[in-house]
Amino acid sequence: MAEAQLKKAYDGQWIPSYRLKSAVASQRWQGFVVAMLIVCSTITLATTVGIIVMLVTNSIGFFSSDKVELSKFLTDTQWTLGQSQGEIHYGILPLLSGTFRITAIAMLIAIPFGLITAVYLSEYASRRTRSILKPALEILAGVPTVVLGYVAIVFITPYFLQSLDDGFKAFNAASAGIAVGVLCLPLVTSLAEDALQAVPKTLREGALGLGSTKFETTMKVVLPAALSGIVSAFLLALARAIGETMVVALAAGSSPTFSLDPRLQSQTMTGYIVNTFQSDTVVPGSIAYHSVYAVAVVLFLITLMLTLLGQWVRRRYQEVYQ
Amino acid sequence: MQDHVQTKRDRSRRWFDSGFSITCLLIASLVVVILVCLISGILWQGAPWLRPSFLWNAHHENQPNESGIGQAIIGSGMVCLICGMFALPIGIGTAIFLEEFRPRNRWLKWFHNLVQLNISNLAGVPSIVYGILGVTAFVYMFGVFGKIQTDRPSDYEIGIHYMYQIKTIGGDYVTFPCEDKFQTLYSVDRPLMVTNAKGETFELNVLPKGASRPSDDGLRSRSVFAGKNASITSQKEFYHMQLPFHKSALAAGLTLALVILPIVIIASQEALRAVPNSLREAAFGMGATRWQVVRGTVIPSATPGIMTGAILAMSRAIGEAAPVLAVMGGVLSSTLGLTNLMDSTPTLPVTIYRWAQDDNRAFEGLSAAAIIVLLLFLLVMNSAAVLIRYRAEKNKG
Amino acid sequence: MSTIESAGSPVSRVRKIMPSRNIADEPNAHAPMGVEGAAGRGPEKMNDEGLQPAIEIENFDAFYGDYQALHRVTLRIPERRVTAFIGPSGCGKSTLLRWINRMNDVVATARAEGKLRVGDIDVLSRSTNVVDLRRNVGIVFQKPTPFPKSIYDNVAYGPRLHFKINAAELDNLVEWSLKKAALWDEVKNRLHQSAHGLSGGQQQRLCIARAIAVGPKILLMDEPCSALDPASTARVEDLIFELREQFTIVIVTHNMHQAARVSDRTAFFYQGHIVEEGVTDQVFTKPKQKQTEDYVTGKFG
Ligand SMILES: Nc1ncnc2c1ncn2[C@@H]1O[C@H](COP(=O)(O)OP(=O)(O)OP(=O)(O)O)[C@@H](O)[C@H]1O
Ligand SMILES: [Mg+2]
Repeated sequence: MAEAQLKKAYDGQWIPSYRLKSAVASQRWQGFVVAMLIVCSTITLATTVGIIVMLVTNSIGFFSSDKVELSKFLTDTQWTLGQSQGEIHYGILPLLSGTFRITAIAMLIAIPFGLITAVYLSEYASRRTRSILKPALEILAGVPTVVLGYVAIVFITPYFLQSLDDGFKAFNAASAGIAVGVLCLPLVTSLAEDALQAVPKTLREGALGLGSTKFETTMKVVLPAALSGIVSAFLLALARAIGETMVVALAAGSSPTFSLDPRLQSQTMTGYIVNTFQSDTVVPGSIAYHSVYAVAVVLFLITLMLTLLGQWVRRRYQEVYQ
Repeated sequence: MQDHVQTKRDRSRRWFDSGFSITCLLIASLVVVILVCLISGILWQGAPWLRPSFLWNAHHENQPNESGIGQAIIGSGMVCLICGMFALPIGIGTAIFLEEFRPRNRWLKWFHNLVQLNISNLAGVPSIVYGILGVTAFVYMFGVFGKIQTDRPSDYEIGIHYMYQIKTIGGDYVTFPCEDKFQTLYSVDRPLMVTNAKGETFELNVLPKGASRPSDDGLRSRSVFAGKNASITSQKEFYHMQLPFHKSALAAGLTLALVILPIVIIASQEALRAVPNSLREAAFGMGATRWQVVRGTVIPSATPGIMTGAILAMSRAIGEAAPVLAVMGGVLSSTLGLTNLMDSTPTLPVTIYRWAQDDNRAFEGLSAAAIIVLLLFLLVMNSAAVLIRYRAEKNKG
Repeated sequence: MSTIESAGSPVSRVRKIMPSRNIADEPNAHAPMGVEGAAGRGPEKMNDEGLQPAIEIENFDAFYGDYQALHRVTLRIPERRVTAFIGPSGCGKSTLLRWINRMNDVVATARAEGKLRVGDIDVLSRSTNVVDLRRNVGIVFQKPTPFPKSIYDNVAYGPRLHFKINAAELDNLVEWSLKKAALWDEVKNRLHQSAHGLSGGQQQRLCIARAIAVGPKILLMDEPCSALDPASTARVEDLIFELREQFTIVIVTHNMHQAARVSDRTAFFYQGHIVEEGVTDQVFTKPKQKQTEDYVTGKFG
């Protein structure tokens, strides 16, 4: 019967006409979905607002305590909160110096090695070497940071650093710095490689056509052209290193020192935060507890500034070639 | 003569060029060397500890041979499950809103741009800051539900029964109902109906102070001296919930969800952007509403990309220690294990961290063994991602 | 005539039905259309006078941001005829076509003013139900755009969207659509395989089947053959010619030969204006405007 109907339909001027679904219903359903999606999107905004409100209100709780002065926070060279002995000092400088030492060492490793690896991958590597290096970088980038922290205390300090120099403490800035450097290396490489690949082929071909060697082309043409992208890679890696927590919590020790000696213990801002929350001795509402937020404000502002700067620089280079 | 100089310089330039490329190769291979050293070092340290019992034992203080990661695996699984349940739908939803529903309305447009800008900044926030947020917003909930106190029952909770427990003269524990959960001790001075461990209900025999102990065993196990304190205990159902969340798996999972949310969003946005516009137009041309276009056409095409991104985000979550450490503290074991979402629980990364710090050096090896297990999980997840990407490309091509 | 000569001459059923459409040797090229139709062309070419317009366009302006893509366009597109839009690249053909079923809603900067009616629907009105409009006005794009689903699901996409329809009816409808689109015989044994496995020409006919499965009155086609090889082009042209018995068809094409072969009426666009519009043979053989003549004879464009 369907067959006959169909034949009739096909022969004649039949046009599909069935009972229609309600368009209003599907419009309403869409409205509901959009509302839900907007609610989802609001959560990211709420996160930012939450971070800011929390940092502001709690660090006000810290600085409004009568035992605390802002000027001492910024200038005192000792930090004894969380150490629980004697007079309290709460100068952020030792924590900053710890962060600085470790970040500097990390960048000394990540930037040159990362950049050269990126140059090699983008300008020289054959398909085969790429197919080995790229996955290796991806795996390294995916290694949880606590694993690198483990490597720092179990391997880097005893087997490498302490065999170089007896002055290295069991927990020190250098081993944390090296591990953080390894952690940032894949990040530098992938961002810098993106920047190098964005340089148009014609620019390279032009330089090579004028008789430059590949090295000269890379140094004089490609790198300068990709400079802002590379700088942005460095900035983002720097932000990452400053915010890194687990490596420093494991390898850098838990006493803040105001020094530049990489062999000493050197608690960082992130290390202090995590140690404080981890210990059961710190009661919510106490000065030590509130101090976490004051430190976090400094950490947040530094990383935010670096991220914004990195994005700004990156956008500039993207504008050049797109 | 000049020609000669020219070629000589040229040759040295060429030499220099190939020298540079070889140096580059050597430095680039460092990545592989580092990776090999890292993995072989960990295998060397951890392999001897990898026994079946290691996988299901709990942590035991100072007993490396009895310790294992059973609770940590369950904890990690639960925390990641919570994290995924929140981060994935919210993240994918946000990405869909940002990519597919570009509004024309001025306010919505402004909102749209703000969200987009915000996400790229959130991606750069260190995870420990999310940890602090987790402590503030989930563990204590900004103090909205009362002052921050650790040893006091919450005012807002379900799925929990309080009772008093008292030890009889016979040494058995009996319980009786509790009327005021904020009163932690209750001095027994008159007979009460109590229940013992066998489930028998009887009236408690309260002896005056200084009375002699009954000689009958049965009577002893039903008697207490007047004035003895009963202490409060609680029994939690699997659906136990309280506000604020305290140091709980739920709080940790939600915190991790915030950490990976920007990653999920950015990855999903990329996947959606990769769907050709012609497909959208074709569906619009058929009279589909925007949502029908998205659900019926765009999402199916973007699914492999979104799934790859989701897996990568989840593998970030499973290895993340700092926020979990901040939210739940460095828990290594819990006596009852994870019975409800309000329990705190060890996770794999936190266990690795605590063991690596342990004074007993044997735990270093255990830590390495836990790392091996963690890396294996990550390997499985990443292989899944690679497989999905590969199959999607094959389908397309 | 270079454009026409170089356009290739696919072996086509259309050519068997229709006498040679090559204008150069058109026997009574100068005869008025009405006379020609009466002179034995049969039902293929008809006098359009007195037909209900399916689409009425009057003083229509279209913009992309500040850029005006169409100026004061006025056009009546008759029912159950094929109307071709021709003109050089960038002259606004696609713009007008995409406004007819409001596809340009997707483009954020696009806006339009003037009168545009499809049947009794006021297209530009805010209160117009776009879903209804698009169900009545189907569109086929230049590049075949099958969804990454099975052939069956592609055709069933529209009916499932719009109709309360049961499985048996849907089977019939899919079969009807595929037969209408002259694709049934080629795909009847592989209905549940991916549509991406079809050839380009088959994919384009699938897109046509998909468009007619919801029973539109009007079919818009934006260069439907320009991504196809000559043989596939011929099949799609045949199809268009057959579909005009039932649907009003508007087709954009760069191929003069194609316009001449398949269309009843032709509108020539130039820089956002409609320079000339009329019965196809007249536009091609006795253009009133110099620009039209230059274009159809291949002097520019
Ligand atoms: N999305 C858009 N945004 C801005 N301008 C557009 C957009 N689409 C088309 N235009 C402009 O509008 C004008 C008309 O474009 P349209 O696509 O209608 O031309 P066309 O006649 O279809 O050309 P072609 O034959 O190349 O397809 C062109 O100048 C084009 O640049
Ligand atoms: Mg066009």
